[in-house]
Parts: sequence; structure tokens; C-alpha cells
Amino acid sequence: MTELVQTIVLSLLVGGIYALVASGLTLIFGVMRVINIAHGAFLILGAFISYTVWNQLGLDPLVGVVITTPIVFGLGWLIYRLLVRPIRHAPMSSTVLLTFGLALVLEGLMGEIWGNDSHSVRPSYVDSSFHVGGVFLPKAQVYGGVLAVVVLGVLWLILTKTWLGRAIRAAAANPASAQLVGIKVTSVAAVVFGLGVAAAGAGGAITGVLYPFLPGSHYLWIARLLAIVVLGGLGSIEGAVVSALIFGFAETVTAVYVSPAWATAVPYAIVFAVLLIRPQGLLGTRLRDDAVTA
Amino acid sequence: MSHVSIRHGWKAVALVGVMSLGLAACGNGSSSGEGGDSGGELKIGASLPLTGDFSEPGSAAKQGYEVWQTLTNEGDGLLGKKVDLVIKDDASNQNTIVSDYNALISQDNVDLLLGTFSSLLNLPASSVAEKNRMLYVEPAGGSPDMFNRGYKYLFFAQQATADKQGLVFADWVKNLPADQRPKTAAYPTLDDPFAAPNVDGIRQVLEGAGIKTVYKTTYAIDTKNYDSIVAAMKSANPDLVVHGATFEDGVGLTRAMLKSGWTPKMFYETSTPSFADQYSKAVGEENTEGVMYAVSYTPEADTPGNKEFVAQYKKMFGTDIPPEDAADAYAAAQVMQAAVEAVGSIDDQLALADWLRDHPVDTILGQLSWDDTGAPQSDFLIGQWQNGTAEVVLPPDVATADPEVGWHPGS
Repeated sequence: MTELVQTIVLSLLVGGIYALVASGLTLIFGVMRVINIAHGAFLILGAFISYTVWNQLGLDPLVGVVITTPIVFGLGWLIYRLLVRPIRHAPMSSTVLLTFGLALVLEGLMGEIWGNDSHSVRPSYVDSSFHVGGVFLPKAQVYGGVLAVVVLGVLWLILTKTWLGRAIRAAAANPASAQLVGIKVTSVAAVVFGLGVAAAGAGGAITGVLYPFLPGSHYLWIARLLAIVVLGGLGSIEGAVVSALIFGFAETVTAVYVSPAWATAVPYAIVFAVLLIRPQGLLGTRLRDDAVTA
Repeated sequence: MSHVSIRHGWKAVALVGVMSLGLAACGNGSSSGEGGDSGGELKIGASLPLTGDFSEPGSAAKQGYEVWQTLTNEGDGLLGKKVDLVIKDDASNQNTIVSDYNALISQDNVDLLLGTFSSLLNLPASSVAEKNRMLYVEPAGGSPDMFNRGYKYLFFAQQATADKQGLVFADWVKNLPADQRPKTAAYPTLDDPFAAPNVDGIRQVLEGAGIKTVYKTTYAIDTKNYDSIVAAMKSANPDLVVHGATFEDGVGLTRAMLKSGWTPKMFYETSTPSFADQYSKAVGEENTEGVMYAVSYTPEADTPGNKEFVAQYKKMFGTDIPPEDAADAYAAAQVMQAAVEAVGSIDDQLALADWLRDHPVDTILGQLSWDDTGAPQSDFLIGQWQNGTAEVVLPPDVATADPEVGWHPGS
């Protein structure tokens, strides 16, 4: 019983962090129909900025998210204006190619700035845990999980309770109508891209505490993130959160009760099975285009 | 209209500028020479994982090759000619590395090749060299699978293949006094052609010595969650953990053990603890005490050319503790150099390979020799972290400190 509780708790902590990072990816797709292959690279960039903040200023890396996130947001906004916007209405394959190129460029730049060796962020609590009954809760994961929930909550508040949020949702639902009622869709898209990659940056600040990282680490993240947002339904933040929790749960339960060798394969099998039944993902909306194709 | 053109113009310039910077940063092929006709130079080509998953050892290997180039050119060169390194970036990709080595041979017209990093990349790269009948000395790639293909031009410039790298450690454990010897052991390993055979080699010896295996598992390279593996090991409670790791997973499993509050009495890990201060910073210096690992090189080694290598490395890269991967690359170049100088020509590269099969070569890793398959025939070194320093503890004749029994995290 203790083992089961431990497994569930660990899976929720892992899933919460996946949810934060995946929400940014799905938000960008929802508004712009851009699949941001560079999302994993922005996550690693967040980890490196967090490392510098921790190393140079002595600020706790999780507290330092208040510095990391705005920097990544600004960079995302700038990249959107310079690179993504000119080809926004090009076929999706063009944006995939562009963002893949962007991932390579970011990887190269990070290698030049921070070097290609492995970096680790080790605040004082990194190796300690809370012990509740027979269950251990790693402090870094607990703090990271709580921070992920807080950032996700702020994102939810922005999207549901602010004029900007209404504009974003309107631009996602129907860009032409949104434009007609006075919403500057292009400006909204720039903010969305910034917010999306900022979520990845915040996720990077958290994962940087949990795992060592180097510029090339983004390859290990992007496949997992894409699977999560596809399972949740492209463009659905709620779907990404549910899907991330399922992903974290499937990985952890498989590792404990089946074998670690299958831990990364089983979640993808679940994605495959779900898409056979619901091609639009768990909470995705079936678009007119999909219906026509089907 | 002109306004629109200007707007698009500066964006294009910015885009090109950023892309150029990125490509330059990615190191997409570099050479200190002019290319084309090599004239009075010998062109030596290699493709290394300078970006991607293996960028860490790849970058260190590049440093090792560059130190060798500098020292060689400051001396008499190779066959009286300056050497010009042509190094490409394979981005840790098995497809890219095949096209890179083909391009080195057919487009860059290199005279000689040097190997890349990891068994995963050396497997296809060595096939290109073999097909083109060119000597291929690799600084890494110790998987036994490298040497069961009947290749004639392939040589591994370390002391032993992966399955034999932990044997010195296994023999030491086997011969410990009964009250110190572990009774049970666990063997988690990354699914990797280097790490898995390494752990299997140790397990076979220890099982033969009566040390019971209580846990054994293999995990995928993109595993992020090590807590579940540690939870399973904690239930089995082995005295010894032998972990087949590269780097990130080695740190991940170590941290997971510390977080769980459970640690084994003894801990051996492949590769990870050999990353000097990157390792101690990642797991915390206080948690390194007693961790054991296999290692090919120590900067303190009294081997031919090591002092010059360390001094030149410091001059070029600012530290006198070269990473193991840089030393391995330097040794690979030394092996290639020894064969070329002994034969006196590079025209028949089978002659270079035949010479290596028949002669040992002195390197900064010690004396290396090979069997007919190109597999090395020496003993690997065993390192141990003691008082925050990486020491060589086995074999006794090259040890810088005596081995100590036990892992003591937090001390």
C-alpha cells in the first residue's frame, strides 16, 4: 500500500512539471497553429538562465523563476516578431522547419555561452525529502510541483480573467472575427508565443534543479512534450494538463510494477491507443477540416 | 512600397545573422587549413558529436585532438608534414556521421581518419572507414559488438573493451575479506552498447563468486524518473549497486538514492564519476566519498608524453585536469601517429593496421596492444573518490591511493 501511495505521489509531482511545460506548447498551437519544435530548447534555455541566476546572484533557482520567466518571455516575443510572424500563414511544414532550425540555433548559442558540458543546480534541499509515514517526498520535486501549479494557475487567470485572455481565446477560436471586433491578432500572437515559451522557461528553472542538463538535452524533451499535447488534444490547455498527469502516472507505474525498460514506451502506447479512438485527443476539438478529411 | 522592402530587408538580415551565428556555434565543420590540395600538410579527418546528446564527450575529444595537433606541429610534424585537422559535427546522429565520414573521404580528401565518440556512433563510422580501407583508431566505442564484425582497420585506443572494463573491480570485490565482501548486489543499467556489457561483465564475475543478484534492470535513454528504480532497489536492499550509466542518468540515480534516504554499502558506477568536477558539482562533493568507477586515464599518470599533454592542455584550455575523454582522443591520435611513423607511409593503410596488430604502442593511457579484431588487451584502471579527489586505486602498480571499502555519502 505504501509503495502504491509513493508511486502515485511521485507520478503527480512529475506530471505537474510536464503539465506546465506542455501547456505552453499547446497554447502556441491553439492560437497560431504553430508546432514549436524549439519548445524543448526554450526549456533548456530557462534552465541555463536559472543556473546563472543561482550561480551569480545566489538566488534560489525556484525563486529565480521571477527573473528567468520574463527573460524567456521577452526572447520569445522578439523571436516571434523577427522569425515566426513572417511565415505564420505559410503551410505548417514551414513553421515546423523554422522552429526546428531555431532549436538548433538555440542549442548552438547555448553551447557558445555556457559550454557543452553538463550543468547542475544544487540548492541546499536538493537531496532531502519530507517523510510522511512510509512515504518519502523529495523536497525539490515538491517545491517544483507546487511552483508548476502556481505558474499554471497564473496562466489560467490570465487566460480566463483578463482582457488579454479573452483576446487570446477569441484569436484562437476565430482570428478573422477577432480582428473584426478590434483585436490586433498579430500582437496577441506575439504575446502568446512569449507566454508559451515563458512557461517552458519556468519549467526549465524547475527541471534544472531536478536533472543535470546541457545544450543538447532538449532532444530528450521535445518528443515527450509533443506526445503529451497530442494526447491532450492540440490546443487544449486542460487537455495538456490531464495528459501530462496521465503521462507521469504511466511512466512511474510502469517503472515500479512492470519494468523501467518499458517506462518510456508505455505512455506512447497509451497515446497511440487513445488516438485510435479519439483522433482529436482527450479534450481536443474536432475541426471542420478533420471532419472533411475523415 | 520602399517602406515594406526595408522592413523585410532588416528582418532578412537579422534572420541570416542569427542563423549564421547558430551554424557557426554548431561547429558545422572546421579546419585550420585551406582545404583542397593538402600540399605540405597531412589532412586528418574526424566527425565528433559537438552538439546533441553526446556533445559533452565530443567537445572534450575535440580538445584532445587539438592538443595533439598543436604538439605534433610544434615538433617535427607527421612524416615531416604539418597536420591539419578537419573536424565535423555529427550532432550525435548516426545518419549524419555516415555522411560526414563519407564527405571527409570523398570531398575533403583527408589522408587519415580518427574516430568519434560512443559505440553508437563508432559502429556506423567504422563501417565507412572499413569500406574505404582506411585505418580507424577510435578514442571510445568499447562495445564488444564493435569487434565481432571481422574488421581489419578498426582499433580501440583504450585499455579494454566495455565487458572487461570492470573486471579489475570485480576481482577486487571477490577477494575482499568475508566480513567486508558484499553478499548481495543490484545491477541497474542504461540500455546502451557500452554501459550494459560493462555491468554484465562485473555481474558474471560476482555471481560466480557467490554474490547474489537481488535486482537487475535496464532502462531507456530518455528516462527521467529514477525514483521508481531506487524504490525497487530499496526493497531488495543490496549491499552493492553496480550502475551502468553515462552521465545524466548516473547523477539522476545517485540523487534519487540520496533523496530516498537509502544508500547501499558499496557503489560502483560506469562513466559518470569520471567526469571530475562536473560529477562532484552535480551530486555534491560530500556525496562522492568511496564511489568507485572504471577510468582509462589519470592526469597524474607517469606515462610517456603525459606531462607534455597536461601542460599543453592547460595552456590551451586553462586547467591542468584534462577530462578523460580528451585524454582518450589524444591517445587515439598517438596510436595512429605511431603506426604512420613506423610504416613511414600512409599509402597502404592495411600495412598500418597490420603493424598495430603486431606492436604495442606507448600512450598517455599506458602501453596499449590489440588482438586481431582491434580489441585492446590491457587492464582498465579503477578510480575511487576519496576526500573530494578522484584517485586511481587499482591495479596496485599504477594506483595513486589504496582502495577503501564503502560508499559514505554526506561525509
